[in-house]
Amino acid sequence: MMRIFNTFLTLCLLTASKVALASYTLPEYEKFTLKNGLTVYLMEQNEVPLIDARVVINVGAIHDGKQAGLSYLTSENLVLGTTSLAKAKLDETVDFVGANLFSSTNLEFSTVGASFAKKDSEKILTILRDTVLTPRFDQTEFDKFKTRHALNLTQQKESPRAVIDNYFNRLVFGENGYGSIVAGDKESVDKLTVADIKMHHQKWYTANNAAVVIVGDFDVKQMKRDVNKLFGDWEKGSQKASDPISVAAKPAKAQVLLVNKGDARESTFLIGGKGIAMNNKDRVGISVVNTILGGRFTSWLNDELRVNTGLTYGARSRFASYSQDGSFAISTFTKTETTIDAIDLALKTYARLWEKGIDEKTLASAKAYVKGQFPPRFETSGQLAGLLANMYGYGFGESYINTFEEQVDSLTAKKAASLIKQYFPKENLQFVVVGKAEAIRDSLTKYGQVSQVDIQDIGFEIK
Amino acid sequence: MLVIKFTPPLTIKVKNKQIINAIMQLNEQIRFNTFSWSLNMKSIKTFALLCGLLLPGLSSATKVEDIHSFELANGMKIMVLEDHSIPNANMYLFWEVGSRNEYPGITGLAHFFEHMMFNGSKKYGPKMFDRTMEAAGGSNNAYTTENLTVYTDWFPSSALETIFDLEADRIANLAIDKDVVESERGVVTSERSTGLENSNYRAISEEVKNAAFRAHPYSWSVIGHQSDIENWSLQDLKDFHKTYYAPNNAVVVIAGNVKVAEVKKLAKKYFEPIPAQAPPREVHTVEPEQKGERRVYLQKASVTTPNILMGFHIPETQHQDYYALDILSDVLSTGDSSRLQKSLINEQQLASSVFSYVPQSIDPNLFYVYAVAADGVTAETLEKAIIKEINQVVLEGITEQELQKVKNTKLVNFYRQMSTINGKADTIGSYQMYFGDYKKLFTAPEDYNKVTVADVQRAAKTYLRKANRTVGVLSSQEDSNDADL
Repeated sequence: MMRIFNTFLTLCLLTASKVALASYTLPEYEKFTLKNGLTVYLMEQNEVPLIDARVVINVGAIHDGKQAGLSYLTSENLVLGTTSLAKAKLDETVDFVGANLFSSTNLEFSTVGASFAKKDSEKILTILRDTVLTPRFDQTEFDKFKTRHALNLTQQKESPRAVIDNYFNRLVFGENGYGSIVAGDKESVDKLTVADIKMHHQKWYTANNAAVVIVGDFDVKQMKRDVNKLFGDWEKGSQKASDPISVAAKPAKAQVLLVNKGDARESTFLIGGKGIAMNNKDRVGISVVNTILGGRFTSWLNDELRVNTGLTYGARSRFASYSQDGSFAISTFTKTETTIDAIDLALKTYARLWEKGIDEKTLASAKAYVKGQFPPRFETSGQLAGLLANMYGYGFGESYINTFEEQVDSLTAKKAASLIKQYFPKENLQFVVVGKAEAIRDSLTKYGQVSQVDIQDIGFEIK
Repeated sequence: MLVIKFTPPLTIKVKNKQIINAIMQLNEQIRFNTFSWSLNMKSIKTFALLCGLLLPGLSSATKVEDIHSFELANGMKIMVLEDHSIPNANMYLFWEVGSRNEYPGITGLAHFFEHMMFNGSKKYGPKMFDRTMEAAGGSNNAYTTENLTVYTDWFPSSALETIFDLEADRIANLAIDKDVVESERGVVTSERSTGLENSNYRAISEEVKNAAFRAHPYSWSVIGHQSDIENWSLQDLKDFHKTYYAPNNAVVVIAGNVKVAEVKKLAKKYFEPIPAQAPPREVHTVEPEQKGERRVYLQKASVTTPNILMGFHIPETQHQDYYALDILSDVLSTGDSSRLQKSLINEQQLASSVFSYVPQSIDPNLFYVYAVAADGVTAETLEKAIIKEINQVVLEGITEQELQKVKNTKLVNFYRQMSTINGKADTIGSYQMYFGDYKKLFTAPEDYNKVTVADVQRAAKTYLRKANRTVGVLSSQEDSNDADL
């Protein structure tokens, strides 16, 4: 079985929002609500005899409060056995037919998903339903998972790349809301119990707080009946959708978070600030501008930091968006000795957005690129199921897809300049640098107020 | 083992299966960090894909006669698969050159050369390859392995002729500029360093390969030695291009929204005029038989718990035992119900992750088993537990149920792979390169189905022996203890 760890699905939609062929629209699908309030999306795709299903629950790390990691632990434990199938039997059944069963959690929603052959539809959909409705939540499996997870939290810190986003979100959003850490930390996870995840499950995993998405090779009429049969008895809950989240203020000063990694041979860094929410009306235009800055191989950042100077293997920029808020960051890495050179060059290159702006030729190229790279992003059932799950989880509509090309085409250089002014953070930039602190600390003070933590410290607290 | 033009985004989160995919990717050298989502799909370049296809019914997806194959007068082989499901197409160029064609002094050159192929030629000068392709709506990447260098272009099918023009120009008329070479050395040094910084697997695999092979070029990593990256000469690069980037050393696959006749016309116009070259010299070195266990140890301060990487010598992909070995690997470590995952991770709680893998390979290579210890578990305990599981297969074999599970999984994975035009191009090309004929893709069902539980046991017995293995330990502790001098 496969589990997906808090992927920034947002990113795929935004950074890569290179869209639309001549009139690409989302393939036809049916969306309806069962009597118990469950939202259902069904989309037929018949090229290969495969089906992808997702159950999306509107609960994620932003709801965890002081119990960091609670949503994550709950969804991970769903796939460790159901009341009718203990873990070993469940694994054996799923693996035998070559299916994948996985769970994932992000800041705003939790997903359990499955990918399987058409002929195994009934068997695997039943298992999927059982993992969500009647999980086993076995004490022994829970304990074993918790032990593995605790180690995993430490192992992640071996790789700057695996943890730098967590530090950055903390810096930009603070301790709550979008600064929450999906996987929790060793201390918070240690306190969580089976009773906690049972309670969490009971509170949030209700029909009217969830959606079922099924894409692939099936007959819609038949599938409607199957879905009704499988999920029709799921109980309605009183907890409705997400708690409103308070949007963080723009940072009031430039800050540098230096994360010491004693054996680092290179520095990995992010520079940025606040970004945009998922439903921002200018999301498409912003993604075209970002393509020019740091969203493709010939982007300004990659051209300067990699191609012209050989300082790094790659430099890029991205917007990460959530339903209410988002962040923007430039990211790259370079050997310890050239840390300051690389940061300076990244900042200088970023400033071109305001100083020189975007010329017509570059804009035309980016528009063609964004449109040409779009269709393969929604080629498979799995990709389409992920898209529908995101639309539900983040609350954005299909117009994002269906008007993409139109929006790309209508972007002018003048409009691009106004998007830069409005959305790309210019003042009070936020920096996270993971590297050998003693070698770079003094030089970093010129960028802002420096605070320092050690990568081996538990969690992502900024002192 | 593969190295890519540009690595995955900084935001990768690795865990379980994803760890494996990430590791596979780190096994290769990729040209650059992927900006396109489609590449992420592609980079899950599992062997699973190549192993697929077991049962009837699969043929409903793509049939052997759907692939149009022809050879140009200069020896370049071309395969075309029409697929009009999206308005896009791709071109995959497989060159039979990898780190196995290097020798001490120019280790890493195949991969470095992959980078140089993007740095300017006669018609399209420096930066113009990428700029022209992107302005036409296309994107690209490339990767180098021990055996191959592969270039991948993804584009709206309207850009087909531009792609032919770009590729032909750099194959026929590459310019190798001194200053660009110097700058690119920095890029590759950064790529090498970031791999070692972020991947424990990368660090330990260099040591294990080096110990397992003392004669054959699989001895060094695809990225090469730092001192070679700093010192190879312009002449080395020029010779390399002339020798290996000859049309008779390539297989080109085009899949997507194209017409066979149009592709033929463009291939004749752009690729056929490029002159053939004398075939590169054969890699004749045969790794001498290993006659006793070899051990290596690597200390890295940031490692949380010990990592173990074992490599057992096995034959090349075209050997008859390939299918049994591939199935053996899946029985050992694919899925939570596989032997190593179930026993080591869940039941005994000795490992936090484990996988095994059989690389596709032109020459005899290694069967890898990799495991990361659970908290508080020593390398020694973990190693013993892995060996116990392997010995279990050697002594008692596997069950019919396990065999059937692997066959079922391969079929579903095949469909997953064939659900994109990129998966199709990659699979067809890889079969041509590693199995010698893309048609083998269509007999693979039979080839896998023929494998019996006895074959798998015999393979385990033949190859997964102590005298045939190299064991690498990666740990934060120094390789010593109080009892040592």
